[in-house]
Amino acid sequence: MNFDDALRLTEILLAFALVQHSVEHVFSAKSERYLFITRMLLSGLLALGIGTTWVCSALAVLSLLILRWFHGPYNGGSDRMSLLILWCLTFAHLMPTLQLKEYVFGYLAIQLLLSYFISGWVKIVNPDWRNGRALQDVFQFSTYPASEQLRSFANYPRLLFCASWSVMIFELLFPLTVITQTTLIIGLTVAALFHLANACLFGLNRFFWIWLTAYPSLIWLHARIFEI
Amino acid sequence: MYKTLKLILSALFPSWRFFDVIAPSPRIEFTVLKTANSSPDHWQEFRPRPIQLSFFEMLKRMFWNPQRNENLFLVSCAERIMSEPTDQSIQEITRRIETELSASHNEFVEESYLQFRLVFLYREDTQIKNQIMFLSSISKMDGA
Repeated sequence: MNFDDALRLTEILLAFALVQHSVEHVFSAKSERYLFITRMLLSGLLALGIGTTWVCSALAVLSLLILRWFHGPYNGGSDRMSLLILWCLTFAHLMPTLQLKEYVFGYLAIQLLLSYFISGWVKIVNPDWRNGRALQDVFQFSTYPASEQLRSFANYPRLLFCASWSVMIFELLFPLTVITQTTLIIGLTVAALFHLANACLFGLNRFFWIWLTAYPSLIWLHARIFEI
Repeated sequence: MYKTLKLILSALFPSWRFFDVIAPSPRIEFTVLKTANSSPDHWQEFRPRPIQLSFFEMLKRMFWNPQRNENLFLVSCAERIMSEPTDQSIQEITRRIETELSASHNEFVEESYLQFRLVFLYREDTQIKNQIMFLSSISKMDGA
């Protein structure tokens, strides 16, 4: 995947994710709806590739207003990833040379790698994650399970022990998937399935779409480094 | 402006520490009072999760999940109230309870008062315990 294609695909996927987020606020009782209607319109222009530099810049400014409105990200990690992608796209468009544009877009790819590796690292250093207790806590009393029925997973400690280690090993080994294009595609597919499972079990649908949005940057960086 | 700058910087240089520890987990409970001086005798969980979700419902939520995402925002508000209490976080929770109550029991809400509390669930050894960590002031519902 070349740089232009990867950037364009990221713009389209981001536009879709931002529209999806924004629609949820359009029916809000408060005037926040105007912020999100504006964001939807700008996202439409982004998807169509019209005035991309200015549209990205306007979306970046709007993201600051939305951050102020909610006194922080509305949905924690997924909103932080949205901001990271949006601001990287904006800076990539604003940079004067191709090399600088590539550095900015490459930064997004590196952050995507780190998002898995660091998440795995902070888990494996915690004894509760190593013995499966942490995942049991997630199902037993955290706010995350999407339904009460899913809390019954807490009654299967061996299953959760295996699931905990599977998640930690996958997250820690994810950076190694860049060795070949095939391993990278397999790694990204497994990662997407992991986010899909999180969306079904914990209702974290925004994570699924926004992490997918960052994948073209890593596919491009892999091609840029290993296939030239 | 400084706070917004700090927030955007934390997005541009993220820590990615997802689920590093399983912290005490908040539940929002509310009570509707007839007068501002009434004593609450019945607390109700705000938006308890569904008993079960069908495959179709899960699929739908991949694309359209506003209430769940709003609930996650309210969890953030509850955590913010504990770490750095602000009127804004309290109002975000109050407003959503009011809006939902007025949508379902309009005539009941208009002359009523609302109070909410934050109950945190946590594990101590092998037991799950809960503790009331915050009690809001009583506010008159405007039926909005």
